[in-house]
Amino acid sequence: MSTKAAKQHKFRVGKMTFLDYFLLVLLTVLSLMIIIPFWNVIMISFATQKEYANNPLLMWPKHPTLDAYRALFQDGRLLGGFLNTFKILLVGLPLSLFLTSTMAYGLSRNKFPGKKGIFFIVLFTMIFNGGIVPLYLVMKSLHLTGSLWSVILVGSFSAFNMILMMNYFQGLPESLMESARLDGAGEWKILFSIVLPLAAPIMATITLFYGVSFWNGWYDAMIFLRKAEQLPLQNVLRTIIVESTTNVSNAASVDALAKSGFSTGMKMASVFISMVPIMCFFPMLQKHFAKGVLTGAIKT
Amino acid sequence: MKPAAIGPEQKINTRSKPRSWFMEIWKHRMTYTLLLPGLIWLFVFAYMPMGGLSLAFKHYKANMGIWGSPWVGLENFKYVFRDPTFIDAIWRTLYVNIIKFLISFPFPILLALLLNELRMGKMKKVFQTVFTFPQFLSWIIVSGIVINVLSYDGLLNSALSMLGLSTINFLGSEKMFLPMLILTDIWKSTGWGAIIFLAAISGIDQDQYESAQIDGASRMQQIFKITLPNILPTVTVMFILNVGGLMSAGFDQIFNLANAATQNVSQVLDVYIYRITFQSSTDFSFSTAVSLFRSLVNMILLLSADRVAKMMGGDGLFR
Repeated sequence: MSTKAAKQHKFRVGKMTFLDYFLLVLLTVLSLMIIIPFWNVIMISFATQKEYANNPLLMWPKHPTLDAYRALFQDGRLLGGFLNTFKILLVGLPLSLFLTSTMAYGLSRNKFPGKKGIFFIVLFTMIFNGGIVPLYLVMKSLHLTGSLWSVILVGSFSAFNMILMMNYFQGLPESLMESARLDGAGEWKILFSIVLPLAAPIMATITLFYGVSFWNGWYDAMIFLRKAEQLPLQNVLRTIIVESTTNVSNAASVDALAKSGFSTGMKMASVFISMVPIMCFFPMLQKHFAKGVLTGAIKT
Repeated sequence: MKPAAIGPEQKINTRSKPRSWFMEIWKHRMTYTLLLPGLIWLFVFAYMPMGGLSLAFKHYKANMGIWGSPWVGLENFKYVFRDPTFIDAIWRTLYVNIIKFLISFPFPILLALLLNELRMGKMKKVFQTVFTFPQFLSWIIVSGIVINVLSYDGLLNSALSMLGLSTINFLGSEKMFLPMLILTDIWKSTGWGAIIFLAAISGIDQDQYESAQIDGASRMQQIFKITLPNILPTVTVMFILNVGGLMSAGFDQIFNLANAATQNVSQVLDVYIYRITFQSSTDFSFSTAVSLFRSLVNMILLLSADRVAKMMGGDGLFR
C-alpha cells in the first residue's frame, strides 16, 4: 500500500544533511528573536529596580523578588481590570457561543425560503459597517454606554466566526439530524443534543477566538465606558504601559514616567500577568484553530 | 411517471404557489427561531449603525438624535474634502500601509518554506507554536514588550552600546517610526500568516517530489520548481485580499506605539477619525462623513480585490 504518508516518509525524511542543520540553526535563531523579548520581560518583572537599571539585558535576576507583583496588587487597578474582564468573559462567552451557534446551525440546514438573503445580511456586515460614531450614538440611545453590557454586546457576534462554524456544521452527515427528526426532536433539541456534542473542535476554536478577542479588547471599552473602575484589563494595561511611557529621552516624559507611579518592574509584571491566560490556553487549542480556520475560511 | 399526470399537476402547482410557499416557511418555522437571536443582534449592532450613517448628510443636534436631526445634503462632505489634515491622513494611511504590506508580505511565505523543509516533525511543532503565539496577544501587550526592547535604554540599545555601536531611537523619532512599525508587524504576525502557506504546501502532490528526486533534482531545485509554483495561486490570492484592507489596517498597532514625538507621522485615517470624534471636536456629522467615506472606499477595495482574486483562479473571500 503506497499511501501519501508513506511516500512522504520515504522521500522527505532522509539523512540529516548540511542544509538540515543550517535550517535548524536559522529557525532557532528566529524563534529566539521571539522568545528573548518575552524572557526579558518576565525576568525584569522578578528583578529589583536597581538590578534592572544596571543591566537592561537581564536574562536571569541574581536576587529574584516579587516586589513588583506586590506593588501591583497594592495599587489594585490591574486587579480591578482583571475582574472586569472576567465579568465580560463570564457573560460574553456563553452569549457569543449561543448567538453564533444558533445562527450557524440555522444557516447550515437544508434550503428554506430566505436562506440566501439572510446569509447575505450576515456577510454584508463583513464588508461594510457604520463606523464608530453611529455605533456610539446607537449605544447611547439604548442607554448602554457607561455599562459593561456595551462591551459585552458589541463583541458577542462575529460574522467571520459564524461562517467558520457554519462550514463545519455543513460537513456533518445530514442523516444524523434526519433520524433525530424522525424521533420527534425539534431543531433546537437537535442543535444542543446532537450537533454541539459532535462539534467539539470547532466549538473550541470559536471559544478561543471570542475569548481572545474579549481578552484583548480595549477599543470599545475606551469609547463606551467612562468610569476608570469599569475599565477592563487591556485598558488598565494601556494606562500603565502606553500612556505613561513616551519618549524616555526627553526630560518632560521622564517626569511623566515618575508621576505615573509604575516602576519598570511593575509594568513588565502587568504585561506578564496579562498574557498568562493566553499562554495557558494557546498551546492546547493551537491544532484545532489552525485546522478550523483553514477548512472554514479558505477552502469553502 | 405517467405523461398524462403532468398537465393537471402543473396546474395545481401554479395555482397553489403562494400557499405552498407559506407551507415551506411554516415547515421551517423552527429554523427561523434559531436565526432570530442572531438577526436581532445584527439589526441592533450592525444595521442600526449603518442607518446612522445618514448622519453624514445631516446636521447633528444632540437633543434630536440621529433620526430627528435636519438634513443638509452634501454640506459635511464639502468640509471634509477641504480639510488638509483629512487629505494628509488619507495619503499617510496609503503610504504607511502599502510600504508595510509590501515589505512584510514575503515573510510568511519564507517562513512556511523554511518550516516545510525542516525534517524534524517535533521541532516543527515547537517552532510553529513559538512563531504563532505573538499574534494572539493584544497590541497593548505587544507594545509593552516593544517599548521594553526598543526604547532608548531598552534591551536592543543596551546590547548595541555594549558592542560599541551607536544606539537607535526607535520609538521617539519620526524617521524610525515606519521601520519600527514594519519590524514589529513582522515580529507579531509572520507565524500566523505562514499557516495558510503551510496548508497550501501540504496539499501538494508528493509524487511530484518523488519523480523530481528520481531525476536528480536538488532540494533547492525542488523548492523553486515544485513548491513555489504550486503555492503561487495561494500567494496571489493572499496578496490581492491583503490589498483589500489597505485603508483600515493597522490602527491598533499605530495607536498603541505612537507617542508625542511621533504624533505627526502616526496620523492615519483611523487615528484621525478617533481624534476628531472623541478628542478635538465633537462634530458627529463631520466625523460620520469621514467614516462613511472610509467605509465606502474599504468596501470598494475589498470587493474589487475579491473579484480579481477570483479571476486569478482563487477562491476569494466570498463564495
